[in-house]
Amino acid sequence: MEKYDVAIIGGGSAGLAALKQLSNHKKQAVLLEAGNKIGSKNISGGILYSKKLKNGHVHNVEDVYGDIFLREAPVERKIKKYILHATSKDKIYSMDLTAAHEYESNFGYSVLMTKLNSWFAEQAAESAQKFGGGIIPGVHVSSLEWNKKTNTTIVTTDELEEFEVRAIIAADGVNSEIAQISSIPKFTPQQLYQGVKVVVKLPEDIINERFEVESNEGAAHLFAGDVTINHIGGGFLYTNSSTLSVGAVYHFDSLLENPTEPYTLVDSMLRNPMISEFIKDQVPSRRKIDKSLPQEEQLRIRFAITKLLKTWNELRDASLSKGGREELLKSGKYNSEKAINERLSSIQEQLTEKYGVGFVTDYVEVEYGAKLIPDGKRCRMVKPYHKNILFVGDAAGRGIFIGPRIEGLNVGIDDAVRAADAVTRALDRNNFTSNYFGEYYSQSVANSPYTRDMKRIDKDYLKIFLDAAKDIPKDIISAKYGTIIKLMSSDTFRSVAVKLANILGYERLLPIVESEDTFVKVPIEVAKRLGEKVTATYVPSIPSIDDRVAKLKFDDDNTSHIKVLKPQSEFMKKMVTLCPTKCYSLENEQVVLQHEGCIECGTCSHETDWKHPRGEKGIVYEYG
Amino acid sequence: MNQLNVAVIIKLEPDFSEGNVSYNPDGTLNRADTKNTLGPHSAIAANAAFYAKVKYDAKVSVATMGPPIAETALQMAQKLSDAEELHLYSDRIFAGADTLATAETLKTGIQKMQGKMDIVFSGHRASDGETGQTGPQTAWKLGYPFFGNVLNYEVNVQNKTIRIKRLVSLQGFNDVIEEVEAPLPVFLSVDPSYKSLFNTVSQRISYEKYQKQAKIRSENYKQYLMVFNLQQLGVDPTLVGLPGSPTIVFRVERIPKGKANRQAEVLDSSNPEHIRKAIAKINEALSAMVIK
Repeated sequence: MEKYDVAIIGGGSAGLAALKQLSNHKKQAVLLEAGNKIGSKNISGGILYSKKLKNGHVHNVEDVYGDIFLREAPVERKIKKYILHATSKDKIYSMDLTAAHEYESNFGYSVLMTKLNSWFAEQAAESAQKFGGGIIPGVHVSSLEWNKKTNTTIVTTDELEEFEVRAIIAADGVNSEIAQISSIPKFTPQQLYQGVKVVVKLPEDIINERFEVESNEGAAHLFAGDVTINHIGGGFLYTNSSTLSVGAVYHFDSLLENPTEPYTLVDSMLRNPMISEFIKDQVPSRRKIDKSLPQEEQLRIRFAITKLLKTWNELRDASLSKGGREELLKSGKYNSEKAINERLSSIQEQLTEKYGVGFVTDYVEVEYGAKLIPDGKRCRMVKPYHKNILFVGDAAGRGIFIGPRIEGLNVGIDDAVRAADAVTRALDRNNFTSNYFGEYYSQSVANSPYTRDMKRIDKDYLKIFLDAAKDIPKDIISAKYGTIIKLMSSDTFRSVAVKLANILGYERLLPIVESEDTFVKVPIEVAKRLGEKVTATYVPSIPSIDDRVAKLKFDDDNTSHIKVLKPQSEFMKKMVTLCPTKCYSLENEQVVLQHEGCIECGTCSHETDWKHPRGEKGIVYEYG
Repeated sequence: MNQLNVAVIIKLEPDFSEGNVSYNPDGTLNRADTKNTLGPHSAIAANAAFYAKVKYDAKVSVATMGPPIAETALQMAQKLSDAEELHLYSDRIFAGADTLATAETLKTGIQKMQGKMDIVFSGHRASDGETGQTGPQTAWKLGYPFFGNVLNYEVNVQNKTIRIKRLVSLQGFNDVIEEVEAPLPVFLSVDPSYKSLFNTVSQRISYEKYQKQAKIRSENYKQYLMVFNLQQLGVDPTLVGLPGSPTIVFRVERIPKGKANRQAEVLDSSNPEHIRKAIAKINEALSAMVIK
């Protein structure tokens, strides 16, 4: 049997950071990823932060990958504006929270996971290969067999021959199968959020102009109020280089209480007049081909239109981006920007005159996706290890979600470094006893400033938030919180109040802080009273969920990776509504699963026998 | 160690994917407006050669005959196979060649490669010509035993033998997978359903390593590229190009459209009654089939 030092299970940003860090320590590690390409199953909101925390040191992405990250990593835009909007129909009240976004941070980049993770993978694989390790995509771990005598684990996969390792880093995400194998209970709906996201295509120059940002710089917009359709959570819109990420994130228990289709929740975002205006673009509208023409002629026209549209799209995208224009001029095909634009209008004219293709105001959605998000305040593992397995990132239930503070990727990377360091130490001493290994890692994670942030309120962060909200009339906030807010808003009393709050503990505070009042009622009232009217100039034509699923790429497996255990349970009946890709239906009071189109979010995993698909199978995200 | 040498013959073909292909008003292919790419079956052949690279550390060479632009196909094949030697046979005299004349050119080229080839791979057929003859004819000219429809293979490098699984399809019979063993050298034409299987961690690590190497090499493909004209190749001019081609294309006819004698019924997938109807039909059809 082949033997390796370390297996990392899961090739997301945490798993890859663990591999890179182990290679930095010259250790051999093999990373197994179920997707056929690294990044193909990863999806995130998302903003990747690098932090400088006053209460301790965290390991940032640039510490792991080096300065090359800052120079070359395919991040999208450096977020320079962070704005929270309260919505009520066409009324919107905006609060600038840029100071909160910049608080204790070196930077925050908007990112798209498939692209970024494949860059991380290139870096990590190159280093790992030097020490006899590497990345193996398309492999799904099916079981682990612990050998007490040798203190090693035999890894069984669906695709490869068994092999033996001395340590495992489980980075297999929020629906961690390694946790399941280790008999660690699944996260409960109270501990999770469900996030849904669409990626909208929009040329770079239009983004710069519309969001009033420089090239490479971007904006983040958060939304609360009536866009939530009465759920606890909110929406987001982040600018990427030449796309926008628009999504909605809600407490899973709030969704179970009042089930609304995830796509309806994201549609509610897209229909908000401010967002409709943010995403709009010039879009060709296809003309139906005359069916009375001979078939060959129909086909010829279809191919001709497709080809022209493809050229138009590529040329337009390039002409509306700095890099694209430079490339076009460098290629020698065009001698000036004017020539590019002339060519573009000539194609457009040809499309209109010859083929009757019109151009209208609408938006272009390129990808739909969803994932569960662990709420670190509620579900972080107290001891994130089991025998010689260390859990990191989402798999360990770690993410920081406090009001407008939304961090997950950086937390996973910090965990990964701590895990890699713990593995290195154990390898050096050849000591994998739980005291020396698992317990050491557990302590290291417990001491991470991120863990502290999951447990308590930071009064300085709170001050920024309260300062931004100072114009909101106090009477909007119900009598219940009036005193608290008053205390918190006073410089003298805040620190006492926060101390008191921290003594009370998050468990008792959370139901007050994260309630329908704070996410829905108060924002609606604020928008109604203080908001400015925003009108959309068009109605976005939002694709149906069937069309969205049809656009996704899958490598379908012939066997389902999900088995329904209780087809008549209340929870499963709610899945008919809450599955983001409508995989469930109700027939004769029984919930029936149709697994094609499953995007592996794990929403239904609470009451199903849920595994990831076999290697290379399932969803293949293009953006993520 | 016994170094294994393998070669792949490939072809630059029109890209038939929508958005890249153009047709003339009479329905024929507009070659000038259609992009070219590495033929899909050539790509599978390159994958099969890469298997030897990963598993046996073989040296891979790729050859093609075509216009100078065909070097892009060599580059694409290099990216798939991590080839160290790229041959382009390009000369106006080679133009208009049929499969036999092409085979003559390729054979001469393969014999000029560094090291004697142990395995030569070809795709199943080209997507534009669809004859599937160039491979077998090259094998015949090389004097190598020919195996078609190869699904996978294992080499015994020490004994210089190969075990091949190949798909045998005969009309009216069930498909059969035939397993044969042969001494090297051999010529393998790769079945469209060929898939390389790497089933240990170490093989998969080498796979990733060589794939990366292939990517880097293909970015500098010119370094590996050798272009031969008629003279440089030293091939008999009467055996290549138009003069060497016994095939005469007399006329190209469109395939007549078959008359439909089936009746289609549109069913609504959201209507359980319709679904039941479909299942009843399927059952009916299944029970009518005699399964031996």
